[in-house]
Amino acid sequence: MTEIYDVKERPSKDIEKVLHPLVKEWFMKKFKNFSLAQKYGVLQIWERKDVLISAPTGGTKTLTAFLSILNYLVELASKNELEDRIYALYTSPLKALVNDISKNLVEPLEEIQELAKKKKVKLQKIRVAVRTGDTSQYKRAKMAKNPPHILVTTPETLAIVLTTKKFVENFKYLEFCVVDEIHALDNKRGTYLSLSLERLNELSNIYPVKIGLSATIEPLDEVARFLVGIDDKRSVGIADVPLNKDIDVKVLTPSRDLINDKDMYPKMYSTLSKLIEKHQTTLIFTNTRSATERVVNHLKEKFPTIYGDENIAAHHSSLSKTHRYEIEEKLRDGELKVVVCSTSLELGIDIGFIDLVIMLGSPKSSARALQRIGRAGHKLHETAKGRFIVSDRDDLVECSVIQKEMVEGKINTIEFPKNALDVLSQQIYGMAIYKIWDEKELFETIKKSYCYHTLSRKDFLDVISYLAGEYALEKNHVYAKIWYDPETKQIGKRGKMARVIYMTNIGTIPDESFVKVKLSPSGEQVGVIDEGFLSRMKKGDVFVLGGKTYQYRYTRGMNLYVAGNVKRSPTIPSWFSEMLPLSFDSALEINRFRKLIKERMSGKSKKSDTIQFIQEHLHTNKTTAKAIYNYFEEQHNFLEIPDSNTMVVERCKTMDRKGNSKNQLIFHSMYGRRVNDVLSRALGYLMARSKKRDIEIGINDNGFYLAGSKLPIEKALDYLTKESLEKILSEAVERTDVLSRRFRHCATRALMILRSYKGRSKTVGTQQMRSHFLLSTIKKLTKNFPILREARREVLEDLMDIENAKKVLQWIRDKRIKIKIIETKLPSPFAMNLVLQGHADLIKMEDKQAFLRRMHELHKKSIGK
Amino acid sequence: MANTNQNINLRKLKQKRKSGKSKPNQNKKTENKSFYFFINRTLFFPKQGILVIGDLHLGYEAMLIKSGLLTPKMQNKKVISDLKSTFKEIKKKGYKLKKIVFLGDIKHAFAYEAEEKFSFREVYDFLQENLDEKDIIFIKGNHDTIDYTFNDKLKNYYICNAGKTGKDKDEKIAFIHGHESFPEVFDKKVKTIVMGHIHPSVLFNDPDTSKKEKYKCFLIGKYKGKEIIILPSFLTISIGQPVNNYDDIYEDYFSIIPRKKILDFNVHVVGEKEIYDFGKVKKL
Repeated sequence: MTEIYDVKERPSKDIEKVLHPLVKEWFMKKFKNFSLAQKYGVLQIWERKDVLISAPTGGTKTLTAFLSILNYLVELASKNELEDRIYALYTSPLKALVNDISKNLVEPLEEIQELAKKKKVKLQKIRVAVRTGDTSQYKRAKMAKNPPHILVTTPETLAIVLTTKKFVENFKYLEFCVVDEIHALDNKRGTYLSLSLERLNELSNIYPVKIGLSATIEPLDEVARFLVGIDDKRSVGIADVPLNKDIDVKVLTPSRDLINDKDMYPKMYSTLSKLIEKHQTTLIFTNTRSATERVVNHLKEKFPTIYGDENIAAHHSSLSKTHRYEIEEKLRDGELKVVVCSTSLELGIDIGFIDLVIMLGSPKSSARALQRIGRAGHKLHETAKGRFIVSDRDDLVECSVIQKEMVEGKINTIEFPKNALDVLSQQIYGMAIYKIWDEKELFETIKKSYCYHTLSRKDFLDVISYLAGEYALEKNHVYAKIWYDPETKQIGKRGKMARVIYMTNIGTIPDESFVKVKLSPSGEQVGVIDEGFLSRMKKGDVFVLGGKTYQYRYTRGMNLYVAGNVKRSPTIPSWFSEMLPLSFDSALEINRFRKLIKERMSGKSKKSDTIQFIQEHLHTNKTTAKAIYNYFEEQHNFLEIPDSNTMVVERCKTMDRKGNSKNQLIFHSMYGRRVNDVLSRALGYLMARSKKRDIEIGINDNGFYLAGSKLPIEKALDYLTKESLEKILSEAVERTDVLSRRFRHCATRALMILRSYKGRSKTVGTQQMRSHFLLSTIKKLTKNFPILREARREVLEDLMDIENAKKVLQWIRDKRIKIKIIETKLPSPFAMNLVLQGHADLIKMEDKQAFLRRMHELHKKSIGK
Repeated sequence: MANTNQNINLRKLKQKRKSGKSKPNQNKKTENKSFYFFINRTLFFPKQGILVIGDLHLGYEAMLIKSGLLTPKMQNKKVISDLKSTFKEIKKKGYKLKKIVFLGDIKHAFAYEAEEKFSFREVYDFLQENLDEKDIIFIKGNHDTIDYTFNDKLKNYYICNAGKTGKDKDEKIAFIHGHESFPEVFDKKVKTIVMGHIHPSVLFNDPDTSKKEKYKCFLIGKYKGKEIIILPSFLTISIGQPVNNYDDIYEDYFSIIPRKKILDFNVHVVGEKEIYDFGKVKKL
């Protein structure tokens, strides 16, 4: 196992000792003294030891990472010993950041060069170059011939570069490798990068020192292992730089009454506007793209004299690159008063002076909240000021608890996907293009990656056999991308097209697909919706888009035609696929808080004492504490407050619009939607299977509901255990839309679906349609196709959270959690949001032929009338 | 007025019930007596022994692979095995297969594709093992840009005698693809037109949940005094275009039957074991 140790703060004079006179003079002139992060990190890197630097945003992390590298390069340059090769590699998941960093490196280098000139010291030129998907062919060719000393790139481009024969030569003596924004790599891009890092280790004759930069995140040990990989010979230091920036956070409620106040929204906007006016530059986070547009429009409409195109802007991922860049530029130049973004400005690039961050709606985790407010006062030692503005009572409780976690420094944990077979396929393909491998050597290189340390030999061989086109039942070799010789155990590339196919199709971010929403019959476009959202709708459904309601009429290609000016209320929630999930840690914190309040309400505590307690416990003001108290009291009087020891389940009968009665079970399962997704589907599936009828499920962060004609819940609860969960859930997701969507993503990553092939690229709609077809064909071949297995794994482990769900089941078994089923006539106050949001998915159990027969019976009945 | 209406409805209801009750026996009877019947997603004319097959789109998979969707190849195998089981079914029912008519779009790509030619030849070879070459009829669909028999076998339409007796002895059936009309097909003597092209299917929404399922279907109705029978596609890769959700792609220029007329057609849904009558398209 890789050894892990803590890195301590070092005295400034020790750093000064190692600095080249030119670098020292330049640094002292510019900064006066070393930052805390630099005191932790610079010497560690100078001593060529791997390090993970975790520091709050606004620190001087980038220069911490680069100071020793620059120092080393300047030393070489002054001795005229600088060679034409890459000494240091910097990679960041954010393309915008990549450009930013290169600027931040070029500037100091120019200043040092300037200083050298003045002092008449001869200094070789140190070159920095950026390479991303946008870099022109000319520049790329130039780079290969005359390589930069520092290469700045993204994980995707790094992978491409690694298969370019000429370019790879430049990595033969790579000495430093900087990985920025590690906290944003807890996804398949991270998995991908972890393999690329091993490839670098493998091909460089020197082990490159790994320098990881991360925001405040947990668990640091795992993040450090992710950075350096798993190998007995490796060790890594963790520089946990403490937060030395004050934070000032508050939860604001726009109205005293979050339920009945009809003027809630107008009040929210005036609260917002007042805050903006009091500050110089405000950054607002809304979580979703649609909300971003809505907030900008409302502010402009309500306060036309204050907000106009010149001082307010929206920033989200659906906007064009140039447009976003323009906004960032304006923000840096201080031209904008307020910028509203979804989550897009959470990471990275310097956005200049911001003195207030507002979060509309919960950021869903304390780490994310810290990251966001860290964008305020993006300079060291300034206070970071953040405000939550809540819109309903669940939001109020959630934001208050997250605020408590922030103040108390409780940070939620992240996890990297493990053994992802689609990413592995892509990488092995790339590795085979680069050279001929011994099977053993290949397997060992892969297993050094943190994300593949536990990869089984069977999975590895399955991927090889898939790539070699030998898959058990697949006789046509359509997948053949590599050759594998079972005699010599060697692996290599196959076909002339290999490199082209690889380079035009790699990447791990699935194409997002949007369906254009157009008015019928005029064809005027009113917006876009997520393709996954469309698949949840049927003709006649009413939904909200950009604050207006529309009714589904028909689809044509990738267009959805709708009727506008619909008076009916929405039949389907619109934000489902965009929702961020609440972190498990924050959910548990809410459960603990619920328990504390419940104890006081059931005991003899005075109301005023309890309010006082809430105020202190959550570090909040009296108004907020009172509002929370009232909400809990309503629940307490109506039914019971669910908490960390009690999962309350409400059983009731509901009527739908047609007057059919339906049974409903509402689970107050406060574990976040990723866990609730698991529990609801597993329970739903068990009940649906025993009664052979479909069951509707609705999920949010606070709980879930199941609805159907028959719900034998007691039996299902008995049957569902930690041990049986995985098998039940795998079966439950087998026929869902979720699995088929994820399968498309995995098939695209594994290059079963080529986005770009023989000069043609495909729209996402085509990809999706065809992937349905591919999925059903593959299933006919074998249920164990490695890429299909990966899609299941992704659904269970990445999209959902089966591990924590197992924990919850264990707690239920240990009687730490008691399930209490209570008959109710109406949903309790805590259940309101869940019931109102509508269903999220359907567990299909009824056979397709049985459904046809039932529809036929219905048809006969209707003509019988 | 109200009374008459009720009477009519009652009568209808009685008829329905009758037919519902006597269904098991009647099935055989109707087959024996009837002019045509369904075998899964194909149509059979017992008198003449003609089996009619909807759109095949051979080479569809090859096209997908060529465009970058690397799917294992299964289409040809499936077509041949489905044809085999249909032939068996005809035999089991006590009939003889004398002719087979393909309603066009036998192949998929518009341009020449070697891969597709091989697929076609494979299916054609199989057919010739079972039927005389002259008894294999290929109607030219909009996708049939090349005749891979290289024997001038593609016809715009095929007309044959309906095999009725008495005053109807001159009655004819016409087989066309459906994208283009020909005067011969609308000849006075032709009473029945059989076509493919539009890949009809129906989409059912569960009134209780958000469930949606699509099924292949036949459409039967009247147009310009002729009985029109539209076959679902034979290929299993895709189900087809739902006719009850037709705004989606259906334009009037797309087929010779205008959309408005389709609304009055009867839907016969293809189930695994039987065909279900669902009444008129517009009522769905």
